[in-house]
Amino acid sequence: MMRQGEWLGLYVASVAVALGVSAILIRATGGDSLAVFDALIEGSLTGSGRWGLTLGAAAPMLLVALGTIVSARAGLVNIGQEGQLLIGTAFAVYFGFRIGGPGPFNLVVLLVAGSIGGALWAGVAGVLRFRRGVPEVLSTLLLVTVASQVTAYALGREWLLLASNSVGARNNVSEQLAEDNRLPNLNIFGNQIPSSFFLGVVFAVIVAFALARTVWGFQLRMLGRSPQAAQRAGVSQRSFGMRAMLTSGAFAGLAGTVMFAGGGFQFSNYKFVPGFSGNIGWTGLLVALVARERAMPAIAVAIAFGALRTGSSFVGSTGVEARVTDVIEGLLVLALLVPPAVMFIRDRRRARAATTART
Amino acid sequence: MSQAPPDRTGVDAHTAPTPAVDLRGITKRFGAVTACDSVDLTLSRGKIHGILGENGAGKSTLMKILIGLVLPDGGSIHIDGEPQQIHDPLAAARLGIGMVHQHFSLVDPLTVWENVALGEGSRLDPGAVRKRIGEIGDHYGLHIDPNARVGDLTAGLRQRVEIIKCLRRDPSIVIFDEPTSVLTPEESTTLFESFRDVVAAEGRAVVLVSHKLDEVLAATDEITIMRQGRVVEHLRTMNADARTLARAMVGREVSLRTERAALGLIEVDEADESLAAPAAASMDREPVLSIRHATAIGAQGAPVLDDLSLDVHAGEILGIAGVEGNGQRALGDLLSSLVRLSSGEVSVGGNVISTRTPGAMTAAGVGVIPEDRHDSGVVLDMTVAENLVLMTPQQVANRGVLDRAKLARRAEQMIAEFDIQCAGPEAPMWSLSGGNQQRVVLARELSYAPEILVAAQPTRGLDVGAIEYMTDRLRAAAAEGVAILLISSELEEILDLADRIAVMYRGAIVGEMLRADADLERLSLLMGGAAA
Amino acid sequence: MDFVNGLWDAISTASTYQNAALFAGLLIFAASGEWVAERSGTINISVEGMLLSAAFTSAVGYTVTESFVVGICCGVLGGMVVAGVQAEMSHRLVADQFVVGLTLNILILGLAGFLDREIDLTTKTAEKVQIPLLHRIPLVGDAIFDQPWPFYLLFVVVPVSWWLVFRTRWGLEVRASGEDPQAADVSGIDVNKRRRQAIYYAGLTSGLGGAFLLFVQVGRFDEGVVSGRGFIAIAAVIFGGWTLRGTVAGCVIFALALGLRLQLPRYYEGVPTELLQAFPFLVTILGMAIFAKRVRPPAALARPFIRGLK
Repeated sequence: MMRQGEWLGLYVASVAVALGVSAILIRATGGDSLAVFDALIEGSLTGSGRWGLTLGAAAPMLLVALGTIVSARAGLVNIGQEGQLLIGTAFAVYFGFRIGGPGPFNLVVLLVAGSIGGALWAGVAGVLRFRRGVPEVLSTLLLVTVASQVTAYALGREWLLLASNSVGARNNVSEQLAEDNRLPNLNIFGNQIPSSFFLGVVFAVIVAFALARTVWGFQLRMLGRSPQAAQRAGVSQRSFGMRAMLTSGAFAGLAGTVMFAGGGFQFSNYKFVPGFSGNIGWTGLLVALVARERAMPAIAVAIAFGALRTGSSFVGSTGVEARVTDVIEGLLVLALLVPPAVMFIRDRRRARAATTART
Repeated sequence: MSQAPPDRTGVDAHTAPTPAVDLRGITKRFGAVTACDSVDLTLSRGKIHGILGENGAGKSTLMKILIGLVLPDGGSIHIDGEPQQIHDPLAAARLGIGMVHQHFSLVDPLTVWENVALGEGSRLDPGAVRKRIGEIGDHYGLHIDPNARVGDLTAGLRQRVEIIKCLRRDPSIVIFDEPTSVLTPEESTTLFESFRDVVAAEGRAVVLVSHKLDEVLAATDEITIMRQGRVVEHLRTMNADARTLARAMVGREVSLRTERAALGLIEVDEADESLAAPAAASMDREPVLSIRHATAIGAQGAPVLDDLSLDVHAGEILGIAGVEGNGQRALGDLLSSLVRLSSGEVSVGGNVISTRTPGAMTAAGVGVIPEDRHDSGVVLDMTVAENLVLMTPQQVANRGVLDRAKLARRAEQMIAEFDIQCAGPEAPMWSLSGGNQQRVVLARELSYAPEILVAAQPTRGLDVGAIEYMTDRLRAAAAEGVAILLISSELEEILDLADRIAVMYRGAIVGEMLRADADLERLSLLMGGAAA
Repeated sequence: MDFVNGLWDAISTASTYQNAALFAGLLIFAASGEWVAERSGTINISVEGMLLSAAFTSAVGYTVTESFVVGICCGVLGGMVVAGVQAEMSHRLVADQFVVGLTLNILILGLAGFLDREIDLTTKTAEKVQIPLLHRIPLVGDAIFDQPWPFYLLFVVVPVSWWLVFRTRWGLEVRASGEDPQAADVSGIDVNKRRRQAIYYAGLTSGLGGAFLLFVQVGRFDEGVVSGRGFIAIAAVIFGGWTLRGTVAGCVIFALALGLRLQLPRYYEGVPTELLQAFPFLVTILGMAIFAKRVRPPAALARPFIRGLK
């Protein structure tokens, strides 16, 4: 009981501090902080049809987060989801239009190709890590820039991704995805709920189950917490770590694909465009961190961050720059890192006090 | 116990000058546990003072308070008659208190002089530090190259660096914390003999913290005995004998061989017919574990195993004696599939086992109680139940899905059988005490009926009761036919348990003997690297 | 052969080196502080955020006072504030250092984007100062000895970093904290304090780097001025095997790649701009792939230290 109370108190205090700092910042730049928060809530929840959009924005964040959770549990710091998401989407777009086929079939092609693309890009970092000893924390980051250049290149070439009717246009964009190849929406209480969100929830359940209840998840956790013990038990860092990395990238690629093919929140009107990822890779990563690398809580966190995203489009009307939501998001994440860190020290200190009798 | 215990020595009561250190009523609690319970301690100049107690008696906490690593909850500290607060090791150093640590105080990649200079407050002056190292070397006979990298040194030389690091500040009060685990018996005798003269001549106060009776009896002038956080005895060494000391330490009459071994009483000469029997019987059969010409290169590029060969037979306990840091860790890691051989081979039951495949040793039936259980023995962030099946989760799974009920049942059964104190199977591993974590390791490693059990420093840091439990279990396993490789830097433990003894020095086995033929002098020479 | 000729032309052009020197300056400022932080045991990915924050604050400082000195001081402050958050959160609390760094990078990017739109900034590059004689060295003379004056701070920062780490007690304690925090702790060193201080130092040099970026290299602030170069600075430390010499060499090599990126299009018509943009990052990854296995990182790199817990 005491612990729950402490947790709650810490979280409430952290969020309050983050929002307070955000409010001060908005005031300081001449804005009306209450109006901004009102706009955020209206744009994400109370506005007509908005919560469907919020779930649509949450879906790819959730998928990215799930991938992050898998790699993080294996002790890997994959923080290049933004790039894996881009390459995954590029794969999906390329193979989707090349292979074609009827709607549902094409949709499956999209999702599979997207996952493979993301996995391959993460695999590059995996190979660098496990064959060449390059820390994945850095290679995944550097590969983000490379990925955005690679996709920009592909978008500029008609034989790759460029739509034939947009050759010579100011912005390079891909063909638009045909209507019957898109992920459908479900109509619930007047809101268009994108199926991508349900996909995300299903995967969240699968990941949660796999980590907690399967031998694979058991060994993955062991690898992440104690590579030495894992090696004794026959869990090879190389092959298990590599698989975790590929899985992680596949989720990021899948996230990009549902952004491309999914309804709800409009990321780019079913086209692949420059800057397509829109920081969803980064945000998804933050979702996983705030959810403390657990799959089920990630659903709730993703919705909250999705709400910030959809809410931000209403912020402009208050006269405050919409980028303020990025700031609020960053401050929130930073603040939410504090409670687990505090509790970790407290728990361990208490355990130590209780167990290390006299040394 | 709030009053000082009667001073049986009568040494410094009236005539003696102000004591170097006078601790009065020192109390320290960790949560519900009282590590030091109004402890009084007086250290005199020119004397070596032994502090004796089991693991967990509170002697380390007391010393940590004296050098400022732990702050006391109550009591007073007087140094040379002046009341003092010691908040950190630097403050202790300013008061002339220095400690020679048993572990973890040297940084391998740094040079000797850098290590010696570490932890002072003054400006860094490499020339002066090097010069001082030379002076100390001349004065105490502790010669060493100040520019050598500490990681390249042998265990004995590292201990020398520790001592120089302590003496560099010219401390008037020197604390030795369990120094003998990294010294051969020979070396420790020499060290304390040479120290005794210097101490007397220069009026230093020296504390020797130990759990070994004979060491304290041999080296000290006065002895304070601690038990469960209290001082239970204080007497002159010349008035002391092993039996009284042992009784005071443990709080009851000591008879069992194991207990006596745990207290550091070596009884080589006692004829014991039962000792030779199992070894002799098992020697005829094929060995279960056979290591041939094993060579492995460590992270620093030097060989950690150097053409090592040994055999262990079913039902036998082979003790690997040796001063710490001579490749024992690599030997344990080799049998945990954590070290790869660059040449040589390991075979179990006649089959050669690859040292490149993770988990190959476990799969071949090698159980390991690792030297550092936090390294490869337990996963602190997983539950007790999970830790109990760490190596073989498949056994509690159906088609890759863990069977929670089966896992819990199995865990409960093992918790009961090995009397593991914990809040239940779902308790996180980090919430257990060291002794109970060690029981989890033991329970698990025995649970898959290994053919070979490697026990590396299995009793380190445990109290007498836990040591007894551990050694009983090892004996029982051997009786059931498990081949046991006992790696220990505690010679007493090896003499107590092993049927056969091999001595490890610089990554190789340099000598072997049956327990029944064990000869302390020869063992000591072998441990020090003298040719057999 | 066209390729080789083109590359040769690019390599033998002084302006390649002028560009490279500017990139190298930025990288070396950032990397020399990052090197100290890594020697203490922290991989400080918030270097990226420190650079951006410093570039912004130095722009604000200059806009308000029209003084480069004040601008640079503000830049240092901007870097140190980020360092403060990173240091206190990862080494006083024990939040994961990568998580904190990453969050900071994202937060600063958002802040910079937001504030840049809210505040009008007017800045320019500082005036050049020519070093007599030395600037006449062929090919590289102008690149190194005819630069705006903040450039020359490099020649202070690098030796000072080296001196701090290898010649002071503080540096000895920093190295001990990065190699074996348990031993350092027992020896009476406040490991986490040293690590925090090392991060503050990284904030200081990155602060100089951010100001350098603004006053020497680009002259005008926008949120894309850093765009991943902080990460390249971190890669340079790894590439250099955690030695300062190697780190500086890594910075120079990666900066040459950044500089060539601007020169190569003049010699090759058809080279896609995207490849050129990615080029320095590819070189960086390749550099690490070749060297990462041959070097030994500080033993406790990226491992938090809590007394009594492993």
